[in-house]
Amino acid sequence: MTRRNSYELSPGKGPSMWRTLEDKNTDPDELKRLAEEEKPGGFVTDLLSPKTLVSRRSFVQGSSIAALAAGLQGCLRRPENEILPYSKAPEYLVPGIASHFATVTARGRDALGVVVTSHDGRPTKVEGNEQHTRSFGGTDVRAQAYVWDLYDPDRSQSPAQRRGNALVNSTDAAFDEALKGLVKKHEGDEGAGLRFLAPISNSPTFRRMRGQVLAKFPKAKFYTYSSIDDDNVREGARIAFGTTVYPAYDYAQSMVTVSLGADFLGNEPGSTVAGRQFAARRTITNPNAAMARLYVAESNYTVTGGMADHRMRLPSRDIERFTRLLAAELGGRGVQGLASLSKSLDSTDREGIDTAFLRAVADELVANSGKSIVVAGSGQPPVVHALAFAMNQALGNANKTVRLSPVIDESDTPSREGIVALAAEQASLTTLFILGGNPVYDAPADVKFAELLGREGLTSVHLSSHRNETSERSSWHVPMAHELETWGDQQALDGAVSVQQPLIAPLYGGRSAVELLATIAGEKAANGHDIVKATHAEAMDKTTSALLLYGFNPQGLSEAQVWRAGLHTGVLFKPGVGQGGVQENAFAAALASAKGRSTKLGKGNFEVTFEPDPALFDGTHANNLWALELPSPMTKLVWDNAALLSPGTAKALGARNGQMLRLSKGEGRVEVPAWIVPGHADNSITLTLGWGRTAAGRYGNGKGFDVGAIRTSDGMSFTDGVAVEVLGEKYNLVQTQTHDRMEGRPIAIDATLDEYKAEPDFASYRSVDPVSTPPLWKQQDYSEGHKWGMVIDLNGCTGCNACVMACQAENNIPTVGKIEVERGREMHWLRIDRYFVGDDENDPEIAVQPVTCQQCEEAPCENVCPVNATVHSPEGLNDMAYNRCVGTRYCANNCPYKVRRFNYLDWHGHLDDKFGWYKDFPESRKLQFNPNVTVRMRGVMEKCTYCVQRIQAGKIAAKREGRFLKDGDIKSACQQACPTRAIAFGDLNDPKSTVAKWADVNRNYKLLAEIGTRPRTSFLARIRNPNPKLKGNG
Amino acid sequence: MSSYEAPIKELGETYLLPEGTTANDVTEAIAGVTENPAPRGWWLLFLLSLSILGVMGAALAYLFYQGVGVWGNNAPVYWAWDITNFVWWIGIGHAGTLISAILFLFRQKWRTSINRFAEAMTVFAVLCAGLFPAIHTGRPWFDYYLFPIPNQMDMWPNFKSPLMWDVFAVSTYLTISVIFWYVGLIPDFATLRDRSKNLVRKRTYGFFALGWRGAHRHWQVYERAYLIFAGISTPLVLSVHSVVSFDFATSVVPGWHTTIFPPYFVAGAVFSGFALVMTLMLICRTVFKLENIVTIKHLDLMNKFMLGTGLLVGYAYAMEFFIAWYSANPYEQWVFFHNRLGFGMLDENGNWGPLWWAYYAMVFCNVVVPQIFWFKRARTSVPIMFIASILINIGMWFERFVIIVTSTYRDFLPSSWGMFHPTGIDVLTYLGTFGLFFTLFLLFVRWIPMIAIAEVKGTLPGAHPDLHALGAHDEEPGAAAVAPVPAE
Repeated sequence: MTRRNSYELSPGKGPSMWRTLEDKNTDPDELKRLAEEEKPGGFVTDLLSPKTLVSRRSFVQGSSIAALAAGLQGCLRRPENEILPYSKAPEYLVPGIASHFATVTARGRDALGVVVTSHDGRPTKVEGNEQHTRSFGGTDVRAQAYVWDLYDPDRSQSPAQRRGNALVNSTDAAFDEALKGLVKKHEGDEGAGLRFLAPISNSPTFRRMRGQVLAKFPKAKFYTYSSIDDDNVREGARIAFGTTVYPAYDYAQSMVTVSLGADFLGNEPGSTVAGRQFAARRTITNPNAAMARLYVAESNYTVTGGMADHRMRLPSRDIERFTRLLAAELGGRGVQGLASLSKSLDSTDREGIDTAFLRAVADELVANSGKSIVVAGSGQPPVVHALAFAMNQALGNANKTVRLSPVIDESDTPSREGIVALAAEQASLTTLFILGGNPVYDAPADVKFAELLGREGLTSVHLSSHRNETSERSSWHVPMAHELETWGDQQALDGAVSVQQPLIAPLYGGRSAVELLATIAGEKAANGHDIVKATHAEAMDKTTSALLLYGFNPQGLSEAQVWRAGLHTGVLFKPGVGQGGVQENAFAAALASAKGRSTKLGKGNFEVTFEPDPALFDGTHANNLWALELPSPMTKLVWDNAALLSPGTAKALGARNGQMLRLSKGEGRVEVPAWIVPGHADNSITLTLGWGRTAAGRYGNGKGFDVGAIRTSDGMSFTDGVAVEVLGEKYNLVQTQTHDRMEGRPIAIDATLDEYKAEPDFASYRSVDPVSTPPLWKQQDYSEGHKWGMVIDLNGCTGCNACVMACQAENNIPTVGKIEVERGREMHWLRIDRYFVGDDENDPEIAVQPVTCQQCEEAPCENVCPVNATVHSPEGLNDMAYNRCVGTRYCANNCPYKVRRFNYLDWHGHLDDKFGWYKDFPESRKLQFNPNVTVRMRGVMEKCTYCVQRIQAGKIAAKREGRFLKDGDIKSACQQACPTRAIAFGDLNDPKSTVAKWADVNRNYKLLAEIGTRPRTSFLARIRNPNPKLKGNG
Repeated sequence: MSSYEAPIKELGETYLLPEGTTANDVTEAIAGVTENPAPRGWWLLFLLSLSILGVMGAALAYLFYQGVGVWGNNAPVYWAWDITNFVWWIGIGHAGTLISAILFLFRQKWRTSINRFAEAMTVFAVLCAGLFPAIHTGRPWFDYYLFPIPNQMDMWPNFKSPLMWDVFAVSTYLTISVIFWYVGLIPDFATLRDRSKNLVRKRTYGFFALGWRGAHRHWQVYERAYLIFAGISTPLVLSVHSVVSFDFATSVVPGWHTTIFPPYFVAGAVFSGFALVMTLMLICRTVFKLENIVTIKHLDLMNKFMLGTGLLVGYAYAMEFFIAWYSANPYEQWVFFHNRLGFGMLDENGNWGPLWWAYYAMVFCNVVVPQIFWFKRARTSVPIMFIASILINIGMWFERFVIIVTSTYRDFLPSSWGMFHPTGIDVLTYLGTFGLFFTLFLLFVRWIPMIAIAEVKGTLPGAHPDLHALGAHDEEPGAAAVAPVPAE
């Protein structure tokens, strides 16, 4: 092919610059031929119409598409099956314009509907799906971290086979061959010795495939195991209802919520929707409005505890006593259904439990019958759950605030029993498929799963995204595709079924558990899409009212149309909630059988509670840089976990922050550094799971401490009888916030409801905005056009970190590593400040406050910048011109909010190891970058922009459509992610916008207003709603 | 301030230079340093300085390669040693101009023995100072954005930024200091030229002497120019450090946002400048045996000056606390009572501000140590004044560190409070500037008359027109005839 004649300049003809095809040649056929040369297969014909031909732009467009296609043929990834864009979809893959696809991500047995942004075929950002009833548009931290996991450079890239003591790379073909052999082998013995171990699944197709496999191999068995399980909920429901059901709460209907160790705004499944609902009854704008009240009994300080109006700190095991006594109190008040139990309950030991507190809670619950919730934590024993069900039933909450999930999976084994039973089968096992998870790392210590895998004669196949601890001990490792790479379906706890759509072809050729099972079962449908679709074919055919079709009339739709609509909205089948009655007689036995109070806690006998890590969860995200560097909501620790204990316990032990503790129980012992958490229950230690991985990947290996050695099958959520020894050595734990007190300054302002009633404008009195003393110079007039502003409602903010992670994902914010965080160089544009409030360091309250650039109208940063790199936009944004910034850092010094972040080193590039960093920046991670946000180089200052790229996109969209922007068109990343809708962003000049309304709410105040910065971001002071009968406690 | 025109014998005053010192003695002593082979001490010091300069080069190369993160600067302490060093060096650079210009205008003749020295120090100190704003930026290759250079982006610097004012103030100061220094050097260059014994020396000094022949007309023009430059330099002494103090004073940071800063900074600058002149002078005086030209009397006067400026600085420190208390501004009170004083305002955990020791180091060095100069024995004791001058220099460094770091590390929002720890590169960069300074300084003492020959001659007894009336010794008839025209 002769190359690019068209580029040659013809001397003396016309202008010598900006040549077009037309200059060279005006014959359309010749042009077509030239274009064909550029891109075999031809252009979109529009580009060749005479009208567009003449423009240089169209030529450059065309040739760059061609160049892209030629250059990127190997890496342009598109799913093979048709996937449907979300409702805002532009035409397919217009370069530079993002598409949005609805899909779903698993939360144990629950599911979270999400909408994923895709730039040119690369998923870059996850948002909540407003039409999914477990999200309503909000997300949690894990959903935001999710896209990083997809591009994790340490994901397994090929099957591997064990040879001797090492895993050796293999090929898909070799594995398929081996799989065939295994299937053939078990076809002979009907699956005797064939076992499957899978994490808790919420997938109808998984259930169907499981059925098919069992049909083919009747003697095979499926076991379920997840480190974070819901066994207690199931068992509690079995006691109460006689069947395995799951509760689905509606906090929006609850005026009084009592949490029995349930972190329902944090780690429990459904926390996203719980946050939405909970905030609905908390974010009042008028002192006389009804405000819900929250009581929490818990051991560790969780984000739910931080939102509590009254919090009782109790060791985890004492929550059962608390529950019994509460039920007894309710029974004593003649609440039907509990009266009969009250006698046996009342004999419970009351030590350490404030009777006045119990009575006040019971009074409130009775007064709010039918609009209250008693919710038990999934770590609590079944009897607590059973009693919680009973109390809800007795209080008339059933079917009002507490509904039962229609998800019933009787053939699923409980998690702990499952793994113990599997281990007990030892001798009869010949083939074991582990469909995800990492049992070698997280199985109970007494199961000794690694030994099980190492047994002679066992062929084990581990399907996993990473070559983790379990893969290293399996006979075969098979890469598992990410949720964003494969078809699947998921049913949420409220019954809504969503299809999991792939947005990208598997990066490393992995497969899903469903596909693997289909192969084993000999399913005809070759790919995930067909397998999933077949699961729902029958239901879709019926086009019953069970279909959730927003904006579609289900009547007369074909199966294909229903499928399309389901993909489009992200919900295929509508949620349906079941009902059930508590079987009262079942309780007596359960209560009697529950073990009584054991030995007193204290020296030599400590309680240990195991909690999923707020960011790493059970270790799933252990190699996720964003998660590793996400400050833990309460401790603000990054890059490590710690043994959390109360100041009293630390004093008794003589342990200081960072001092190593040796916790031992039975044979197991772990060494973890201590960290003192004011408000933690005494004599109780909380350990978070998911850390101390040895085969997580380059980032996660060796970070934190594995606490699995003292976690046994009889104490998966908490255990007592743990001996604690304080060791001499200290470990360096790093926080993003080292000072916990407000020092009497008006920062995160709060008041009780009574104070609010007495003085509705209290917040602006405490943080005075000197509006009556204008500056010496003429002020900018922002009354015309847009005036962007943000209001953050501290009543809604739980401090869950979803916004922090969303900001990181949206704005290409780098992570910096533990050593650099210790130097105070973390880069989060949005941080959540957490203060302890109150005089009692053993039992303080919490105040959280998200702080990001306040977009001051009189910005102190702007007039000190010597090079005009940070300047004001006409709409009032404090803009950063990165390529003008020389990095004097003067602006950051002069920022009273300290929200500016400086690229001290080249966080994205090569750095020396002595900076605690890694030599390369993996190619796969570059795929995650948001192309609309500059990736900043070293030496440049950066900060929150109010997501200016989204503002521009929204304005452009409105302009193209010839309409005015309306509230909600533009959402900042933090606002969109927030599960409690605590962040309002929009145009302050639009009186109908939420942000303008919130700006006028009486509890609005501006942070550090007295400096005269006139910030655009303001806060709504937090209102606490303590029970007036419980003075001094809350 | 009484002028030191001539000693009043009745008051027991004597001449600055020992009686019997001839103009030729002065020329020989000073010009000789540049003509004789360098003493071994010079070579040792020079090689040492050059090595330290090399270390600085390495530290800077590493800094440019990796980024500012190799220093200990962090959030919230975005400025630390870099700007501390900048202000410290700039402060040191103040003594030169003060001694040359202001004391000249006040006809303080005792300045003649030290002014050249101090001016050279000024120039080198300003060079060292100017280095820091240039290298402390995240992207030093774009430093030219700070200058108002017409460009295709049609972008000007932000003239509202005090950092911008710094650029002008420091560059003006450097320019004027160099010119002023050079103008004063012209007659002395001519002396060296005239004494040259080889062609290279002759040509070189001849070039810089600008054809000086010692004509009356030359002297007339020279004196006028010198006076004009002294006049121009004088406001600069006050303006440069005032402008530098605006970096802090115009900000909103508690502990920076203080109206007392301009005079406070100027007093501190003169204080530290005198201290460094003293340190260096004592060394050179010993190494080059100039005790007869820089006499104990000079040193005594300088010590008095340091005592005075030290008291001014101490007053400023006290005033800051008064204002912090009087303002009732909780943030400012926190900075002064907690961050600096340590106690007085414990945080809710009962802790002192962790950098309290820096404040005490500063007060000890800058306020307590100079009090020793109330005693004449201390003022005239070389070891005591040497130690005191070094302590004052350390104290003045701490003053800047205290202002910069202990204001920012705990400011408005406790959530953002941090701590500062310097890195090895911080230390090497700072030490390295001593390499730069002393390398230049040693080259200066070796090749340029380190004491103003012509001016010193003017203070000789024989230079006085009323020599006889004042009762000078008649045995030295030649003395009056020599000055102020250079010998030969």
